[in-house]
Amino acid sequence: MYSRLRRLPSFWIASVLLVLVLLLGILGSALAPHDPLAGGSALLQAPSATHLLGTDYLGRDVLSRLLAGSRVSILGAFEVAAIALVVGTIPGLLSVYLGRVFEWLTLRIMDTLIALPFLVFAVALTALLGNGLTQAMLSVGILLSPMFYRVSRAAALTVSSSQYVEAAVLSGGSTGWVLRRHIGPKVLAPIGIAFANAAGVGLVIVASLTFLGIGVQPPAPTWGGMLASDLGYLAYQPYAPAYPIVLIMLTVWAFNLLADVLRDTSGEAGRILLKKRALAKARRRGRRLQPQLAGRVE
Amino acid sequence: MTPPILDHVVGRRTLLTTGAASLALVLAGCSTTSTGTGASTAAGAATGTLSWASSYAPSSWDPVVNGSGAAFRITALAYASLTNTDEDGKAAPGLAESWTYNDAGTKVTFHLRPGLTFADGTALDSTAVKKYIERAQTQENSSLVGEGISVIESVETPSATDVRLNLSQPDFQLPLVLAQRVGQITNPSRSAAELNEKPDGAGPFTPVTIVAGSKATFVKNPDYWDADNIHIANVTVSFGADASSIVSGLQSGVYNFSDLTPSQVKAAKAANLDVVLQPGFNANNLSVNTTIAPFDKPEVLQALNYAIDREAIVKQIDFGYGTAATEPFPKGYIAYDPSSAARYAYDPTKARQLLADAGYADGLEVEFVVSADTPTNELIQAQLKKVGITAALKVDTNWATSFFAKKLALTTYGTTGRDSPIQTLQAHFGPAGALNSAGTEPGSAFDEAVATALATPLDSDDYEKNIQAATAAGLATTGLIFTDSLPNILVKTKAVSDLPRIPAYITWTGVTITGR
Repeated sequence: MYSRLRRLPSFWIASVLLVLVLLLGILGSALAPHDPLAGGSALLQAPSATHLLGTDYLGRDVLSRLLAGSRVSILGAFEVAAIALVVGTIPGLLSVYLGRVFEWLTLRIMDTLIALPFLVFAVALTALLGNGLTQAMLSVGILLSPMFYRVSRAAALTVSSSQYVEAAVLSGGSTGWVLRRHIGPKVLAPIGIAFANAAGVGLVIVASLTFLGIGVQPPAPTWGGMLASDLGYLAYQPYAPAYPIVLIMLTVWAFNLLADVLRDTSGEAGRILLKKRALAKARRRGRRLQPQLAGRVE
Repeated sequence: MTPPILDHVVGRRTLLTTGAASLALVLAGCSTTSTGTGASTAAGAATGTLSWASSYAPSSWDPVVNGSGAAFRITALAYASLTNTDEDGKAAPGLAESWTYNDAGTKVTFHLRPGLTFADGTALDSTAVKKYIERAQTQENSSLVGEGISVIESVETPSATDVRLNLSQPDFQLPLVLAQRVGQITNPSRSAAELNEKPDGAGPFTPVTIVAGSKATFVKNPDYWDADNIHIANVTVSFGADASSIVSGLQSGVYNFSDLTPSQVKAAKAANLDVVLQPGFNANNLSVNTTIAPFDKPEVLQALNYAIDREAIVKQIDFGYGTAATEPFPKGYIAYDPSSAARYAYDPTKARQLLADAGYADGLEVEFVVSADTPTNELIQAQLKKVGITAALKVDTNWATSFFAKKLALTTYGTTGRDSPIQTLQAHFGPAGALNSAGTEPGSAFDEAVATALATPLDSDDYEKNIQAATAAGLATTGLIFTDSLPNILVKTKAVSDLPRIPAYITWTGVTITGR
């Protein structure tokens, strides 16, 4: 899989961006040049040598707050994707194997989850369970799980009716063994795509929730929260919302790009795509070489 | 005790001379074209729509239940009050054209204007007022119980236009108390549940549609007692607009009037809108419940007092439009006690020392539960941090329930004030006061000072002195730390003429809207 991925430049772009974002998430607070919570009397200052991105409405360093806020935002995104993965994939795979009652039941549950608007549901759940990011992410993760349920179920359905799987079952392979040996590897690619997608969606949701002031304990900085407060001071710093917006956009874009790359390279279609690219490359190289060759001959 | 009767012609002349520029122009235009016709013909015509974006919505359209001071400005569209206040904060006629006290100050009779009616034809007579006052005193969810009406022992109706209040003690504040906040008279033929959904009063405007928390539309009420001076035909109030969208909303013509946060003033001025700093009685405070540990230790409360840097709040949060406050009203108000003002100057060193004395040398961790994540709350949190108090800021959507049940140890609150200064004092320091964070008896010194101030006629030479003594007595016992006071910052387009500068009120009398 990796050998195929690394042949696409978009994979490298996505990975570099995501590694950078991940580093921000891990090291953000340590990299911050100032205390992200310490205010000063210099309010809403333009970028300067001491404050590279300026200061906010309480005189806090914006760069430090962006860096310190990345952990919550990125952690939240992964949390959503991971919860959705576990809650969606396991029943998705089992729905193919555990009989019609389980299948019918999980399908109806997933239909119900799809019908719920997740931002509203997350807001309601934080009101019920307390205003924490984990509570909000839990609810969003559960509501995002139908995506994994459907993807894994669809992949498992095609594989489970194939002859070699039927042969394995007839030879006495247990459900667990069949799932691990035959179904698992086949559904891995679509789930990987779904995961990258979910992480992107998750980041947007974390940003939206923190924008609304849900899931964070002030004055802890978050990207969405910074965006929300920046909007109140547009007359002073019209450019300020751009900082968190660019970070959010780049991260989500990288996740989506990764999802695209995974999709493009997986399965038979991926093999064809890579072969075509290789051929096109060879042809281009050949064309570029030809005039020189011709020159030499003459 | 008969107040000056506001004469329309006099009113116009005053406005013209005081230079309410755009209004003067409009009125001048009227008088030249309407060759000598009476004031009523020129003034009776109403045009234009007021599109008001309001950051606050009434939780209930029943003035007995709605407890928010700011929201009374909205309900005042639909309800006329028994009295009003004028530009000096003095009681002025409303539904009652005058009032008389007995010499002892224990009985007051309000004389209603004759022939007042509600929109459905129900008479607004002494019986309607009596029913309203009794409802305000007894209704289970009334937010007016602690608002200066507990002295009313009984209400009599000697005639259809006379309402006599028998008081348990001399109280000369009632003409002020029964103004917009407490005296918005409701139609007695409506149940409390009906009023909750849709207002029914005899105010300048009649409600057309009310969508809770979203929008309310009104048309001019031709039967309002001062309808001749209402020149606006329609009113639309939109609730819940985001503060950062107000200025662009006014620029694009979606609204033509709104309240404004200090951070938006610069944008509004840049957009060539009129920013009005309307005087008010606003005061923000840090509410400390002195019955909950560790705030039950006097040193801790003192430390908090010294830890608050008011000038920083004025500069950073109010963008210079506010003033530092140490009392529940702004400086210069009649009840403002200069001798109590400088009790606690900002002194973080002393605050640390006091905390150490109380046994918290290594710092102190407390919960700071607030209604919204505002810059003020974050700044106060940072100021407390400086003296070693780690306040965990928590935004509680059900904040109001806990706050009014006096369950919060540390929080912030902002009052819009009351028309009667003693009512303000009782609300903050009295045992039944909604804003008394601890809910404890303030002690006999305060009670005595309040009784003396209540019994002082408003035109007495001792009035100011007695009322300031009551302020001092209240402040001496409280866990309320006042921080800053802002005027009411309003913004309007040029199409809306100047508003009467009545403190804390938004009054539409005499206001015109030109253009669309």
